[in-house]
Amino acid sequence: MNRTDIIILGIESSCDDTSASVIRNGEVLSNVVAGQEIHRLYGGVVPELASRAHESNIVPVVETALRNANVAKSELSAIAFTKGPGLPGSLMVGVSFAKAMSMALQIPLVEVHHMQAHVLAHFAQVPNNPKPLPEFPFLCLTVSGGHTQLVWVTSPMKMEIVGETLDDAAGEAFDKIAKILGLPYPGGPELDKLAREGNPAFIRFPHPRIDKLDFSFSGLKTSVLYHLRDKEKEEPGYTQKNLKDICASVQHTITDILIDKLNLAVKKFKPRDIALAGGVSANSELRKKFGELAQKRGLHAHIPAFEFCTDNAAMIAIAGMFKFQEGIFSDLSAAADPRYQDSQFVTHKP
Amino acid sequence: MQFTSETPTDLTSAAHYAMEQLRHNPIMVFRGEMGAGKTTFIKTLCQQMGITEEVSSPTFSLVNEYRLPDGMPVFHFDFYRIQNESEALDMGIYEYFDSGICLIEWGEKIEGILAKEKHTSVRICEENGKRILTFGN
Repeated sequence: MNRTDIIILGIESSCDDTSASVIRNGEVLSNVVAGQEIHRLYGGVVPELASRAHESNIVPVVETALRNANVAKSELSAIAFTKGPGLPGSLMVGVSFAKAMSMALQIPLVEVHHMQAHVLAHFAQVPNNPKPLPEFPFLCLTVSGGHTQLVWVTSPMKMEIVGETLDDAAGEAFDKIAKILGLPYPGGPELDKLAREGNPAFIRFPHPRIDKLDFSFSGLKTSVLYHLRDKEKEEPGYTQKNLKDICASVQHTITDILIDKLNLAVKKFKPRDIALAGGVSANSELRKKFGELAQKRGLHAHIPAFEFCTDNAAMIAIAGMFKFQEGIFSDLSAAADPRYQDSQFVTHKP
Repeated sequence: MQFTSETPTDLTSAAHYAMEQLRHNPIMVFRGEMGAGKTTFIKTLCQQMGITEEVSSPTFSLVNEYRLPDGMPVFHFDFYRIQNESEALDMGIYEYFDSGICLIEWGEKIEGILAKEKHTSVRICEENGKRILTFGN
């Protein structure tokens, strides 16, 4: 270890998954997520298990992250944790643990905004496999089960939400429509798989007419619901018979809505780099259209590896590293804040 | 009390009635199928109460928290993705009941808890393109 190395332990517990990660100078040495195993066993996301599981998971997850990174506790420069937004009970487990550990080790504590960390996940480097980093300022489209945001990123610390969903998140639209179609919840990935073999022009669902850079997906959910209800009346079995084509049409519509707004934002902000973040960036159609948009407009496109897109602690550690470098620390009065708002991460809709 | 709206946005009078009910009883439970318009109505209600923050679906987060102009918290729940009532207990639902106005979507998932709590019930359904809101106890 070099004396000037910055080694950060990141802790994330805002929602369903407990995660811990160790990074050295921006390189991810380990990124451990507990919860998925439990969830897979019980089928889907099970908040009861998850929220209670944070408490039993946190110690083994942190120990595993340190061991996988081959880093001793005494080598850590600081501990970064998710302050919010998130579920109070879940956040509190991570916050309390981070505070206790920083007190025991006598090292600084850094609080992180969960949504800001999703954007900064782009700066996570994997050892021996460096990738080009986005250049500031850039535009980031963060799409997950709980969020849909267009973020104008001027520096690691300073970001503006320039557009967001007015109702359902994009990932939620995928999951709920999948449920209407009889696919298991969360059915986004399943819908994606079926859509690959379907005809995206089978049904033309209307696009919402929403001002500016905001999104809306609840109207689409209702359109799908009514369409299927009417068609099933005329032709029982319609949904099952045309499942792949319906999936393809839904996916086409959701991704078009996202890319149309991103395109509008590109015209407005004229960035050189665009970035995709959040769990929905795993969607094949979205990745394809995102790449096409970048190519058409001559932009650099950035999509982080999937493990840094879903909720994970590596992104918390990365965000913590930027704050650490600026010398922005918290004291032991730090507390979880389910509605956390950072003065450097503001909503400013053009 | 029943309200019928031709368009999803034409919900202001129902929202005013709901505000009056909330003055007497801070827990309001919304029941209705997916796509019936529960979140849409709650958006209108929150706007009418003077909330300026973005009101969006809490399906993933389970609960969103907003503030009235006087600082009173408003908790917007969605129990769609929970599998049994103990999950609601786990997240401290009784603490929320005592802490502010509670607007609950997918109350069907926690009927056992709600049976013991005084609340206003709102059923939302769609018929021939119209939204019907029925308030009861």
